[in-house]
Amino acid sequence: MYRERRKSWNFFQVFNYTIIILLCLSIILPFLNILALSFNEGTDAQRGGIYFFPREFSIENYIEVFKQSTVLNATAVSVFRTVVGTVVSVFLTAMAAYALQTKTLPGRKVITFFIFFTMLFSGGIVPYYLVLTDLNLTNTIWVYIIPSLYSVWNILIMRTFFQGLPDSVVEAARIDGCGEFQIFLRIILPMSKPVIATIALFNAVAHWNDWFSGSFYVRDPELKPLATLLQEMLTRQQALADALLRNSGAYAALEKITVTGDSLKMATIIIVVAPIILVYPFVQKYFAQGVNIGSVKE
Amino acid sequence: MEIATEKDLGSGTEINNNKKKKRKKVKPVGMTWKNIKKHRAQYLMLLPCIIFFIIFSYLPMAGLVLAFKEFRFDTGMFGGAWVGLQYFERFFQDPQSWNFVKNTLIISGMKLILAMPFPIILALLFNEIKSNKIRGFFQSISYLPHFLSWVVVVGIIQSILAPNTGLLNELIKNMGGDGSTFFLMDEKYFHSIMFWSYVWKDIGWSSIIYFAAIAGINPALYEAAAIDGASRLRQIWHITLTGIRPTILILFILSLGNILSAGFDQIYLLKTPGNAEVAEIIDTYVIRTGLQSGQFGYATAVGMMQGVIGLVVVLVVNRFANKKFNTSLW
Repeated sequence: MYRERRKSWNFFQVFNYTIIILLCLSIILPFLNILALSFNEGTDAQRGGIYFFPREFSIENYIEVFKQSTVLNATAVSVFRTVVGTVVSVFLTAMAAYALQTKTLPGRKVITFFIFFTMLFSGGIVPYYLVLTDLNLTNTIWVYIIPSLYSVWNILIMRTFFQGLPDSVVEAARIDGCGEFQIFLRIILPMSKPVIATIALFNAVAHWNDWFSGSFYVRDPELKPLATLLQEMLTRQQALADALLRNSGAYAALEKITVTGDSLKMATIIIVVAPIILVYPFVQKYFAQGVNIGSVKE
Repeated sequence: MEIATEKDLGSGTEINNNKKKKRKKVKPVGMTWKNIKKHRAQYLMLLPCIIFFIIFSYLPMAGLVLAFKEFRFDTGMFGGAWVGLQYFERFFQDPQSWNFVKNTLIISGMKLILAMPFPIILALLFNEIKSNKIRGFFQSISYLPHFLSWVVVVGIIQSILAPNTGLLNELIKNMGGDGSTFFLMDEKYFHSIMFWSYVWKDIGWSSIIYFAAIAGINPALYEAAAIDGASRLRQIWHITLTGIRPTILILFILSLGNILSAGFDQIYLLKTPGNAEVAEIIDTYVIRTGLQSGQFGYATAVGMMQGVIGLVVVLVVNRFANKKFNTSLW
């Protein structure tokens, strides 16, 4: 097999690498373009012709964006929901998954199906929304955290991982008189760092990226997360960006305006993706791991 | 809401193929009081989880009665008078509805069927790179877009496709073209923008599972085929693709459940006044009539049809796949 590969290196590998490199370029280049635009004077960018380097370098866009109290506030909301939501959710998910993998648990199959079925069928968005309203969750910060505490997918991944842990350690602890909670906290959790990292990352990314709840379940502008702010910018395009601009007091010094609605939008995009891209190289192995754990047979 | 989309990769269930009825006889777990009491810690651990799913999944399912009722704010979800099938009639009589259904089917069809080969091909290409380091590098780059919100992706699309100043229009201008096309406002371009941005965002991520399946194929098969004189392409066709067929099928079955939901985030954000004619799908319609203009009963009815059809399709296809290919979700 390998011998044959060497012979056909020319055609096969060249073709192969070309496609893969093109794909990777299609992912990297748009970011460079947005990055260049965000660091370029907005008024200058309107002339077009900016590719991967800023022409008139300026950090004015970022200064303007961060001058907005809404943006700072939205960042705080996003950070809060990401941190609190992830920590609580991972802990509760792990607990449920641990209980579900106990093979002797009476009713285990029924409970698993009860949870799994929600993946196949749901009541739809309107009854869901009405439940949130009835619980007085809408228009509070908890609507970001409580309804996303559990996800079927994450429970299944964790359960599969726990099933792969050696029984002997747990048995030994049980014989020593450890309670289930102690076993869970002192033995299972420390042994499960990889899967916890994976689930925590999935959770954190989902929280950081979620714009939907902010747009539809929350009216108070003080409670909108960063992703929702960006979504409102995109949908209301100019209107919102211009409002941002007007509030900023940039009009007081008219001759100095260099930012535009579009350039503010570019800076906001970069602010939203920056945490993900900066953390990504260090954690990406955990992401792929999650998929592989999840697909392992029972 | 958003967390649920993490499962869009669709392999949360154990892939148990070719294990037809070979289930081990597990000794029955006694539902005796003693046994239950022994596990009270586990039940306590599961309690918040069960309450959660009752409240946020099963209560909304019960709320589907709203599809047959008139919604009143004072009595809430379960009050109100029965209206029979009025909402369903309204939906089927409205000629616009068929347009939404058609748009939904076109978009989800493109995503489920046309887009499916791309991650498989990418997994095959990755498999040809033997150096783990180099492959890992390219793979990590390819997963990245999956972790970006559609808000960000659509923001990038808006910028690149902007008339005059966008990257694409610049390119067209440089090649002597017009360069003022407003791609996002023109329904002619909607499907290609939708399709390619979808492929772009998830090609790397979806390839992981196929790649793992390919890695699990017995290398002896390739050696045997090579001795028999099979070319590389033939080996890929007969060994690799046959080997990952169960995986492909499982993912396909799972994704069929989404046949009537064409991906809310992306479509909602890409929709503009210019392309609404082809971009309005059932999901966006439900949000528009339900959450945005408060016709709760009607929107519930439309959403319910979508959910029920999705469930039925998954069950039917799963049964078919079980019979025909011995591959099943459970």
